[in-house]
Amino acid sequence: MSVVISVGMADFKTAKSPDLLLTAGLGSCIGICIHDPFLKVGGMAHIMLPTASGSLGGNPAKYADTALELLLKEIAEMGANRTRLRAKIAGGAQMFSFPGKPPILKIGDRNAEAVQQELKKRGIPLLVTDVGGSFGRTIHFDVGTGELRIRTINHGEKVV
Amino acid sequence: MEITQFQLDALREIGNIGSGHAATALSTLLQRRIDMSVPKVWAVPFEQVSGIVGQLDMPQATIYVKAEGEAPGKAVFFFPVESAEIMVQALFGSDKPVDLYTDEMAQSALKEVGNILVSSFLIALTQFSGISFQPSVPALAVDMIGASLDAIFLEEGMLEDTVLFIDTQLTGLPKIEGQFIFLPDEGSLKKMLEAMGL
Repeated sequence: MSVVISVGMADFKTAKSPDLLLTAGLGSCIGICIHDPFLKVGGMAHIMLPTASGSLGGNPAKYADTALELLLKEIAEMGANRTRLRAKIAGGAQMFSFPGKPPILKIGDRNAEAVQQELKKRGIPLLVTDVGGSFGRTIHFDVGTGELRIRTINHGEKVV
Repeated sequence: MEITQFQLDALREIGNIGSGHAATALSTLLQRRIDMSVPKVWAVPFEQVSGIVGQLDMPQATIYVKAEGEAPGKAVFFFPVESAEIMVQALFGSDKPVDLYTDEMAQSALKEVGNILVSSFLIALTQFSGISFQPSVPALAVDMIGASLDAIFLEEGMLEDTVLFIDTQLTGLPKIEGQFIFLPDEGSLKKMLEAMGL
């Protein structure tokens, strides 16, 4: 029987096949999904901001760089081989726009960029990038198959 | 920042007065009775937000207004899409179905509701504290509530681990329910409490 494990904002979880990981209502946050297809284990992080550097500390699962580090450590402890890891990411939307005011701080874009850089730095192939737009996403990740189901309200549903 | 029980009580009182004004404004606008819960004050880590706003992927109409000025904050109203559509029908005085996802007129009407509600809330806050606020133009998202809220939390690149907010439920018949939250920016809470001599 498979269990659906829910990942909150600024949170990360790992799972073994056949369990699924879920994060609901991603806006400008990003869901980072990583798995080892051979061992069928993986994890998901729901990050809110690009980097922990210069911040006041606090919860490391909130930032792309520190959350990824923690997630990879926990996946490694489950026996996964770093060279086999694959990543998929979703989120990074711009939910609101104020007329006449260009969004100087496009946090969704900055998050997406930071996550891509952090993955590249660690040599983890990024297979799917579903970011941007102005709509929310709910994602289910199957750590066994690596299937990522992305559901939206008005922009369809897909499995990638 | 550490919050004492006394300060929490003061915040709840702010919420009570402000949300009371907002609920009255909504009632006048819609010409029907609106009930308001006793406001709650929450200081919770992000991962527990869903416990307060419910299912994070529930479609809701979220109206967001920034309160600028000496003690800036963020005011957010959210209504289940069906409730928001009923409110728009009441405003238009028509039973014709509205589709909030596509109808710009309906979206605009709802933003105006947000504008009026937030202004009433802020006027009450000013009367109470002497601090003046300038509300921004309202922005609207009709989408998953979690997605809208995370974008609001992060708009200024928020650094704290907990989110502090005053939370009030609004209900009216038939089928109107909504929630109003006010999030003081970092440092604003202290200013508001000081202005009130707390």
